[in-house]
Amino acid sequence: MYNSLTRIQNVFGFFTTVAFVVSAIIAASDFTAPRTPSASIKPTNVQVVKGRPHYYSSKKEEYAIIKFSLDADMSSLFTWNTKQLFVYVTAEWPSTPSGDGTNQTNKAVIWDSIITSPSSDHLANLGPATLKKLRKSAAGKSIDPSRGKLSLKNQRPKYQITHPSGKVANTEDVTLHVHYNVQPWVGMLTWNQDVDFALWKRMARGISNAFALPTVSAKKK
Amino acid sequence: MASQERITVHNLAGKLPNLKHTSDDAIPNYLNSLKFTQDHSLIDTRLALGYGAFAIAAACFLWDYKLGFESTKWFTAAAVALYSLVNGALTLWIAYVEKGTVYQGKAADGTKLTLGPPPQISVSTSTKKNEPTYYVVVDVAPKGGPSTKLEFARSFTEWFDVQGHFVALPFQTMLATTVPLIAKADPKRAAAIPPPAAAAAAAAEFLNVDTHTLDALAAAETTGAESTAAGSVGKKSKRRKA
Amino acid sequence: MLSGLQNPRQAAAQLLNFALILSTAFMMWKGLSIVADSPSPIVVVLSGSMEPAFQRGDLLFLWNRNLLAETDVGEVVVYNVKGKDIPIVHRIVRKFGLGEHAKLLTKGDNNAADDTELYARGQDYLERKDIIGSVVGYIPFVGYVTIMLSEHPWLKTVMLGIMGLLVVLQRE
Repeated sequence: MYNSLTRIQNVFGFFTTVAFVVSAIIAASDFTAPRTPSASIKPTNVQVVKGRPHYYSSKKEEYAIIKFSLDADMSSLFTWNTKQLFVYVTAEWPSTPSGDGTNQTNKAVIWDSIITSPSSDHLANLGPATLKKLRKSAAGKSIDPSRGKLSLKNQRPKYQITHPSGKVANTEDVTLHVHYNVQPWVGMLTWNQDVDFALWKRMARGISNAFALPTVSAKKK
Repeated sequence: MASQERITVHNLAGKLPNLKHTSDDAIPNYLNSLKFTQDHSLIDTRLALGYGAFAIAAACFLWDYKLGFESTKWFTAAAVALYSLVNGALTLWIAYVEKGTVYQGKAADGTKLTLGPPPQISVSTSTKKNEPTYYVVVDVAPKGGPSTKLEFARSFTEWFDVQGHFVALPFQTMLATTVPLIAKADPKRAAAIPPPAAAAAAAAEFLNVDTHTLDALAAAETTGAESTAAGSVGKKSKRRKA
Repeated sequence: MLSGLQNPRQAAAQLLNFALILSTAFMMWKGLSIVADSPSPIVVVLSGSMEPAFQRGDLLFLWNRNLLAETDVGEVVVYNVKGKDIPIVHRIVRKFGLGEHAKLLTKGDNNAADDTELYARGQDYLERKDIIGSVVGYIPFVGYVTIMLSEHPWLKTVMLGIMGLLVVLQRE
């Protein structure tokens, strides 16, 4: 009965319980850290081009290139349980009148960024030089809230907007939205909220004024 | 040697359930030989509930495997609910009805006899963990009459020898001399010398100090050699005395 | 223990204990499955395409109900491609339209290109029904055991062997 096998089982069982309880406490600790993110975004240059948006595109279609300026303060999202912050900018617009739907929506990510915590820098998919720089920037720090401060001027989008219909020119009422997704070391994944929840405030601003996409320009420069 | 002695100290806790189970198993064997009719309804209900629950899970596994999740999810939801119900019923049955009952049966005259552990003592209770005592509650219910409860506690050393072997005679004598209903069914054992003396007679080399005996018992089991076991006992007692 | 084998009821009761451990584990999994409305409410990450968020072997908890809001851009979802068996964990980056037939495009955070190449031939977008759940919870490393076992089948044999050996050696 009380042989080595039982003991190994007991030790393992105890270890599992302790690990689980500690993880649960760490995950719950997220709720004790206030979140007060804010962001402001505006489009700086909008172009619509007809061509192949990707090298593997099979057909020519209209696509929009939206340059934007972004100022964001997400520093409060970095806690000891933050593994990475995923910040992304979407362009959203209601369906074109020519489309079938009523109250249809379209959303597309035009830019995103992975901001690692110093504790997960080693996991980031970066070149050795960039990684070294990144590590140096947070030397001695396990949490670096300053990484949550973003300031982008006339940033080129990472992804061009297309639409299944192939038409995006002259689209009205386009807005840019800033979103975030907090990836924890253990626990719940969280996104930006529409309403305040306890210590977590909804993101201040983070939506641009509505603008229209222009007509197709002659040629992509 | 040193390592063996260390094991034996912990082994007392480990061996106790074995002592209890062996003694428990001996009760039906003995009573059924005395023309008691054993009533299996407690364990039969447990088996029915348990295997019923298992059948539900097995059926659920089969249809999920054959037909996929989406098309069977309402059946699966029902199966999960039913399984928790049956499993809950089983848990309640074991905890509140069976209560560790060791034997349930009827004597030739129809008197109902139930043997089990007292409600406050289960094998796992920590306060009783290191005490080699067999606690039994006997419930005797004559046909149509009020039931009487009899509670006794005896040391396992009375019917286990130094090597840890179960000895039937002192055990049966102990039961027959303690429970009048069993005495009536087995006058021969009841007339025998009272258990402590019987135990002493049955195992002359038996030490009357419980812990020493059990250490030796455990040591004997670990080594499997009598001479070594005896040596260890000697050594141990000397050390204890010093 | 052996005495139990002489008594069929005792033997059946001992076997039952073992059977109930298995069936209870299975029914708990199914219960979670029902609550989350997903055929596979817990998945193990198999690829590095969502690094550094998820590494191979991390455990993800999925939720497949749209109680408050539709599955939206930015959510990390697990989807199955028609005709392929391996579920993929990626983030939704585009959504056109609303409801059941909204067109969804996914991409791994760590990948340069979106998933159009991964979809079935002729399929440009996913629909809601292709998704088996959105990631809501995360536990690192725990699932690595299953990856080890499936990639190194000899480990199973070794583990079974050690277990068998222990049982034989510890038998009293």
